[in-house]
Amino acid sequence: MTVDQIMGEVRDMLTEIIGAEYAWSLDIGMDTSFDADLELESIEFVRFATTLKGRYGDRVDFVGFLADKELEEIIGLTVGDVVTYIASCLILAGAVDG
Amino acid sequence: MAEITAGGIRFHVQRLAAGDRTPQLGRLGPPVVFIHGLCLDNLSSFYYTLANPAAHAGADVILYDQRGHGLSERPRTGYRISDSVADLAAILDALGVDGPVCLVGHSYGGAIALSYAVAYPERVASMLLIEAHVPVPGWAEPMAAAIGKVGLDLTEGDLGRWMAEHARLAAIGKDLVNHTTLMTDLLAAEPLSARELQMLTCPVHAVYGEHSDVLGHAHLLDSLLPRYILTVLPDLDHFVLLRAPRVLRPIVLEWVTARTVVGVP
Repeated sequence: MTVDQIMGEVRDMLTEIIGAEYAWSLDIGMDTSFDADLELESIEFVRFATTLKGRYGDRVDFVGFLADKELEEIIGLTVGDVVTYIASCLILAGAVDG
Repeated sequence: MAEITAGGIRFHVQRLAAGDRTPQLGRLGPPVVFIHGLCLDNLSSFYYTLANPAAHAGADVILYDQRGHGLSERPRTGYRISDSVADLAAILDALGVDGPVCLVGHSYGGAIALSYAVAYPERVASMLLIEAHVPVPGWAEPMAAAIGKVGLDLTEGDLGRWMAEHARLAAIGKDLVNHTTLMTDLLAAEPLSARELQMLTCPVHAVYGEHSDVLGHAHLLDSLLPRYILTVLPDLDHFVLLRAPRVLRPIVLEWVTARTVVGVP
């Protein structure tokens, strides 16, 4: 996988979660913020974490990634932060060419 | 999404096992079950701030969105406390949890926790209540008056602004108030009697804000429950969980880990 492919998958997941009618006006990219841009509710963020686990399994420990962060840090994350984290996990797992 | 069908309803359930990050603690004690509040609340109120740290500390954590809330199914009926008690029992059955649990109830979730413990005393080992409503006679009317405002098209005030900023959550709350039996079920709920509360023998730790509008419930519990600890947090109101998770966290973690990981009775 490439980082662009991961970005594409994450964009599709987020569109599914917030609904196409909210997502269509947003060009979801690496700089998109979960709070200021997507206005992602924390329950939707829980769903996002679950979706990531379903897609990438134990190779990506997203709950562990979030465990040391306060809520405001989590909400302040950008899509790029998460895509980069996923890519780093997949590089370790040998699924992305680092 | 983690889904369980229990009692014919599809529930969003999250189970956070401690396991791999705290191997030194070994096998887990009673699970900790988090029960959120009514209408605009859901399991995410606990997920990052209390539940994940509790799992990290070694607890076996269960969270669920109540019927109609969060990512669970939203049926048109079934919003009495007795329905919520039956839902919790059905979810724990579906998870294969048949031993006693430690309940953490927030606001209306505290009312469910108390009612569950009255209905199933053998299934509750201990309880931590955060700003709990206690379902005694006359309790439901002021709560229904507050919840009813969610169904209006408010644009002003704290609630109106909040709903404007949280459009998707607000839409769920409005649907619950305007298109389900939640309001009538809330007003029709059978209250607990003083006698039933006096019979609760499990240890209960309650946390309230100094300026909470339901602080009277804290003192009512003090007069009725045989094993009761009260912590009143200075300078805080009913929204302790939202406004001061860092203050709440050590209190919750100490109680929960002592009773589920370490094994304090």
